[in-house]
Amino acid sequence: MMATSAVDMTRQQRWRLSTFLDANFQYWALAPILIFLAVLTLYPVGQLLRMSVSDLAFVKGKLEWTYVGLDHFQTLRNDPVVPDALKNTLLFVVVVVCVEAVLGLLLAILVSRARRFAWFYRSVYMIPLLIPPIAIGTIWRLMYDYNYGIINQILFELGLTGPLWTANPDLALVSVMIVDVWHWTSFLFLIMLAGVESLPYELSEAARVDGANEVQVYRHIFFPLLRPTIIVALMLRTILAFKVFDQIFLLTGGGPGTSSEVISLYIYKVYFVQTRLGYGALLALLTAVIMSVFVVFYQWLNNYVNRQR
Amino acid sequence: MSRSNPKLTRRHLLKGAAAATGALLASAPGVSFAQKASTINFLRHRAQVEPITILINDSPWFPGFEVLVNNYVDATGNDVNLNVTPFAGMLEKSRNAVQGNESEFDILNLNEQWYMQFYAGGLVKPIKEIKPDFELDPNVIEYDSSTRWDPNVRYSTPDGEIYGLPINGNIQLFFYRRDLFEAEGVAVPTTWDEVEAAAQVFHDPPQMHGFTIRSKPPNWEYQAYLESYGTSVIRLDVETGEWSVGLTAPEALEATNVWLNLGRNYGPANYADMGQAENLALMASGRLAMAHMVGAAAPNFDNEDQSVVVGNVGADVVPGGPAGRATMSGIWVMGIPHNLPEARQVAALTFLEWALSKEAQLDYALAGAIPVRQDVYEELAGDEKLGWWMKAMGDSTPYIKAQPRLAETPQIVEVVDRRMSQAIIDELSPEEALQEAAEEIQAILEGGGYNVTPLE
Repeated sequence: MMATSAVDMTRQQRWRLSTFLDANFQYWALAPILIFLAVLTLYPVGQLLRMSVSDLAFVKGKLEWTYVGLDHFQTLRNDPVVPDALKNTLLFVVVVVCVEAVLGLLLAILVSRARRFAWFYRSVYMIPLLIPPIAIGTIWRLMYDYNYGIINQILFELGLTGPLWTANPDLALVSVMIVDVWHWTSFLFLIMLAGVESLPYELSEAARVDGANEVQVYRHIFFPLLRPTIIVALMLRTILAFKVFDQIFLLTGGGPGTSSEVISLYIYKVYFVQTRLGYGALLALLTAVIMSVFVVFYQWLNNYVNRQR
Repeated sequence: MSRSNPKLTRRHLLKGAAAATGALLASAPGVSFAQKASTINFLRHRAQVEPITILINDSPWFPGFEVLVNNYVDATGNDVNLNVTPFAGMLEKSRNAVQGNESEFDILNLNEQWYMQFYAGGLVKPIKEIKPDFELDPNVIEYDSSTRWDPNVRYSTPDGEIYGLPINGNIQLFFYRRDLFEAEGVAVPTTWDEVEAAAQVFHDPPQMHGFTIRSKPPNWEYQAYLESYGTSVIRLDVETGEWSVGLTAPEALEATNVWLNLGRNYGPANYADMGQAENLALMASGRLAMAHMVGAAAPNFDNEDQSVVVGNVGADVVPGGPAGRATMSGIWVMGIPHNLPEARQVAALTFLEWALSKEAQLDYALAGAIPVRQDVYEELAGDEKLGWWMKAMGDSTPYIKAQPRLAETPQIVEVVDRRMSQAIIDELSPEEALQEAAEEIQAILEGGGYNVTPLE
């Protein structure tokens, strides 16, 4: 009797375990990838946090960590470059993302309506995105050159004096923005085009049959349906624009003065040129926090738009 | 010699032939084992030391260094591998090499702006610990003690111990259009005032600019102005071990005003954005009468593919101010990692001693590199092709000044670059720029634990 009871208990336990495993299988299945992500994401973030409160030095071939508490925050408060770099970065992000979004959307609408050569336009508009940033920086650096650049030579032929594209502190950041718009508009164009082409044609057609004009079709059908795509595109582009580095590094180096200094370039200088690893880590964390604010804002906007719909 | 990416070279062919002959001999009947061994040994070439690997940057002078290494391999039979790396990766690779149990490189090429981290941290071996009777040939230029480190004052001083040996002698020169100067009967300037007077003669923008400054980044050339007015960014009093920041001195303001005046009034309109490449292009295209730039730029003016002023450019010592002339060093030194077996350290030093010999340095210079021996400069001063700038290089030796050489140098240089750039674009007045820079540098030194004199 006792033996039968023990066997029953074991069966019961097995049954419970297997029921539990079956009932929560979706979570168990996710476990490997969660562990993988934790190792690849949480560990580096943890190290970055640890670095931001430490001084690191190479002594006798070994990396030595010294805990310094909030000393780097004090350095941050007194750093005259960070406010300029943050201001320039925010200005850069707002301007280029807005301009590129408008241009990308316009191009997407035009190409989606093109009856001929749509494949050609798609290919041509993608070209800037395919060129390595290092080549783009070099090409534009040569084009902007005050003494030999083709832009100023053309202006000279037209009887105009070309501006000091990268030497004028009021124009240096604008010059970089122009290059960025040229480079990245195609990225937004591609996302927008995918969104535009996936819109149900029947809705706009029905609206037209009901007497809606083109402006009304775009305002009440087209844009509302495209909003989620636009928001995702803006979020991706904002994150990328916030990390702008190569174009500024090659075109202006952050100068003249600090007129085109951005936070990513400054982190590079602090981290790799000045070897201030702890302070560089704090600046990287600061950047990550600011970018997170943008991401949260876009997600809120996305949810808000979805609720409106 | 071999590079990291293997390809068939003459040495490989010789080695293969030697191995094949050895194998034939070994299998030949009637030859005793002793005879076979001795013959094979002979055919193994004359290597005296372990093969070595050098971490070297890809640069305009790399072809000259490659010739130097090939000559060494041919002369000694010792094998050398080169790990050719872009400038941007040099510091990281050097650091990684000295952190492991055993360095993958036997020689590290260290730039003037970071060598001190390797000396101060004991990451490269003092030369006398490898070879106790080592004496540096007095003809080898030490570039204001860049070879040495004095742990007592944490700086490169003449009393310090030798940690590295120079391999590239980059300093600044004054370049001018010899044809224009001769045509106008203008003497080659020796002071900044004379530079301005000459610039007034030739300045006719946009076709011809009198003089340019380097403003992107400005620190290296700008420091020569400071030195020529008797001050410097930072200075060590070796007696007291006390540091002082020289940017608040009245001489610094005078030097800065001269620098700004020359750059703004005799340079192109984009004077605030003139890097080394832009200055070089302006001179090579015949639109610049005078320039103060790195001596290694000289071969570019003789290159018919790049220059329209071939044979028309002259070179001299950088002009000076009330405190005399000054040229800043921007050299490379070679160090031997601390984490190497003794045999490899000996092999590395064998190469370096050979590379610094007069014969080796002569071929090195003729192959387009910048030598580091005074007697080589003097001998090449009469060379038909190189003499015009080799003489100026040799004449500049007494005026060589060091950049700040502290672990904090990159921070200090960043401050100078930023503040002087702000002065160029009038964002700050010269007084404000110097004061702000001085305060920031003072804070950096104090934060680094240095004994610092209060600001003036």
